[in-house]
Amino acid sequence: MPKVCFYLHLHQPPRLTNISVFGLGTQADRYFQSPEGENDQNRKIFLKVAEKSYLPMLHLLGQLLQTEPGFKCAFSISGVFIEQAQRYQPKILEILKRIVATGKAELLGETYYHSLASLYSPSEFKIQVKRHSELLEDLFGFTPKVFRNTELIYSNQIGEQVSQLPFTGILTEAVGRYLWDRPKTKVYFSYTKKKVPLLLKHAELSDDIAFRFSDKNWKEHPLSAERYLEWVEMYQETEFVNLFMDFETFGEHQWADTGIFQFWAAFVHQFLARPANSFVTPSEEIARALSEFKQPSDIPDWRLYDVPEPISWADVDRDVTAWRDNVLQQDTLRTIYELEPQILGVGDKRLVEDWRKLQTSDHFYYMCTKWSADGDVHAYFSPYQSPYEAYRRYSIALADIQERLLQKQANGIFKNIT
Amino acid sequence: MSVVGNSVFMIGWEYPPHNSGGLGVACQGMTEALAGQNTQIYFTLPHKQFGSVSHMSILECADPAWFAAGTISTHPPFLAYTADKRTPQSLEEVVFDRHHLNALPQSELESKVDRYAELVTQKGKALQQQYDVIHAHDWMSFPAAMSLADATKKPFIAHVHSTEMDRIPSGYGSDYIMSTEYQGMMAADRVIAVSYYTKQLLVHKYRIDPNKIYVVHNGINPLLVAPDAGRHHFASQRPVIVFMGRLTMQKGADYFLQLARAVLAEIPEALFVVAGSGDMYHQLLLQNAGQGLSANVLFSGFVRDTQQQILLDRADLFVMPSVSEPFGLVALEAAQRKTPVIVSSNSGVSEVLPNSVVADFWDIDKMKSEIIRLLTKPDEYQSTVNQQLADLKPLTWASTAQKIRAVYAKTGQK
Repeated sequence: MPKVCFYLHLHQPPRLTNISVFGLGTQADRYFQSPEGENDQNRKIFLKVAEKSYLPMLHLLGQLLQTEPGFKCAFSISGVFIEQAQRYQPKILEILKRIVATGKAELLGETYYHSLASLYSPSEFKIQVKRHSELLEDLFGFTPKVFRNTELIYSNQIGEQVSQLPFTGILTEAVGRYLWDRPKTKVYFSYTKKKVPLLLKHAELSDDIAFRFSDKNWKEHPLSAERYLEWVEMYQETEFVNLFMDFETFGEHQWADTGIFQFWAAFVHQFLARPANSFVTPSEEIARALSEFKQPSDIPDWRLYDVPEPISWADVDRDVTAWRDNVLQQDTLRTIYELEPQILGVGDKRLVEDWRKLQTSDHFYYMCTKWSADGDVHAYFSPYQSPYEAYRRYSIALADIQERLLQKQANGIFKNIT
Repeated sequence: MSVVGNSVFMIGWEYPPHNSGGLGVACQGMTEALAGQNTQIYFTLPHKQFGSVSHMSILECADPAWFAAGTISTHPPFLAYTADKRTPQSLEEVVFDRHHLNALPQSELESKVDRYAELVTQKGKALQQQYDVIHAHDWMSFPAAMSLADATKKPFIAHVHSTEMDRIPSGYGSDYIMSTEYQGMMAADRVIAVSYYTKQLLVHKYRIDPNKIYVVHNGINPLLVAPDAGRHHFASQRPVIVFMGRLTMQKGADYFLQLARAVLAEIPEALFVVAGSGDMYHQLLLQNAGQGLSANVLFSGFVRDTQQQILLDRADLFVMPSVSEPFGLVALEAAQRKTPVIVSSNSGVSEVLPNSVVADFWDIDKMKSEIIRLLTKPDEYQSTVNQQLADLKPLTWASTAQKIRAVYAKTGQK
């Protein structure tokens, strides 16, 4: 009898093309789009995933919103995803617009570039979040009210940054080392000056679908809608089950032939067949949580989620080591963010844009050298043959950005003289 | 056969276009020049040779069993020198890699070298009326040369381009390779070393009689097209300092990274390019990031032909901090392309390029101040370029061939 909040994440990174040392200073605007058009890797991947996941799942969600009056969902859509959709498969955005127009799908705020700016530059973070909100307003006529940071990365310090922006709440992960044995089905509040509601992902029930669904070695395989419903219904009416996952779970991570689409449709139908069950959007969940208390000072200490070090929904560690564990990642991150004053100082639009696209977290994810099963997940998502190749290419892009800066600065000096 | 040395049976290992290092290039330069001086040459290879070679007779001595179905058999059955194990950068390397020396069990390596010796001996015996000297290049061909010399009673010259002591500077190289080198040089009537540096190493580390070692430096072919030196190729806004070579202990790429850090502390806009691949690749990337130089030191991967030329044309400076470098042909190529060269004092090339900057590979301070001096003093930069070009004038393959022919003549008189 709980309330289910179903949220899907849509993102595709701007992957680097095979930029060369021998083109330094001459390959502006070619970091992410190869000149060979049809062979453009970003295009290929986007179209493949659109075919397998975006289009069929959006189609299914559209149907469910029509046939199941109680169904609701939420999306986070990165700015760089929207750009690629516009370029490669605009149909996706048309369907999304229709879905948003039903009023039963909520869009979440995030950084336009799916970046780690929250960890490195509060000023850049603010700019990217604002730019993303503006994009959603322009495209969907929707102003996001709830925030999700890149890969659900969250800490007290990030809570503080978001609390100064026009958002009513934040989505993040329930991490045992900070949540302890408290239920993850409650709404918590940030450990910051202004208490911001936090919605925590239900990792087990989310990952049953996102990771384990097609795993033949899993004792619950094949998972039926009925069985899954039993697990969800173990929770009380006052509890929220937050199912947060990648959109590509449907059709790409779990292929159509695993029965994932039918599973989800059946679950929604059976879940809503019982009147006590309902779906909620993140905003509704937040509103209910706030209604528990007359004023913020009524919030008891046990409802505060104190997260001194950043957490995320990635890897078994649920921290940020997926992006900044080794020196390859640390030094490239340091370098890209140290360029901020110079890049913004020069004020060249294309340079700023390329610099921001180089902040997309995936670039650093590909450089991860962690062992074990997480390494496999990284390798699955990486377009490069190794983390070292990801680093090698990224270094060339960094040097190229610097070269362009030097060119601009030289031109600037020249102009001053004449 | 009136004049001894007018006909030679040469035992090779690799030959352009399918070469992994300097050995193939040196064999091409010297055989072309020898042929130009009326030397008839038979040249054995452990693989098929594609591409036209008209100045000598190529004898293919390959066992079909070396090449699994579907693989390209225009390469040696394994590499003589260590190449990149982890991240092949080109198709060539993938193919080379498959036959990687280190990946072979010792017994397999020995059996391949032995089999090559058998095949070479068969061919060499059949032709024994046609030549008067056997000339073998590096350890892979020494067993063949010893066996053929034994069978034909012809004199044998061991030509040393590189030793295991150079390749594994710690001294913990392959016992098998070192003993093959030793036995080959001991059995040889004469030894040709590519530099005094190498001769000294052969005397001190292999205990070879200095009286039988002749030093013959390599040459360099003049450029057919004038070099296009200058900053216009790429990264025009900053000085570019280049390393080119296998990423191994021998070549000192780790010292190049230390040097980069030292120079960048004074010239922050400098750009360092590491061209090559090898077993230290990952370690070097980590060292580079650890030094905080991700945007200042770039790795281009393995380069050849046009890219190599562009890189040397573009380079403001070329550094070769080898721990042990028998010769170092690429330094001459850089000088030819009007790039001032900083070479390790543990190198053969420093003997023939006296106007380059010579420094100990570990002397980061000296290399750093020389780089800063050359980059900040255009006059000195230009005069180094010009003096290096003057150094190159006598370094012809014809001159190398003359010296080799003189060794042939002496060998015949034993």
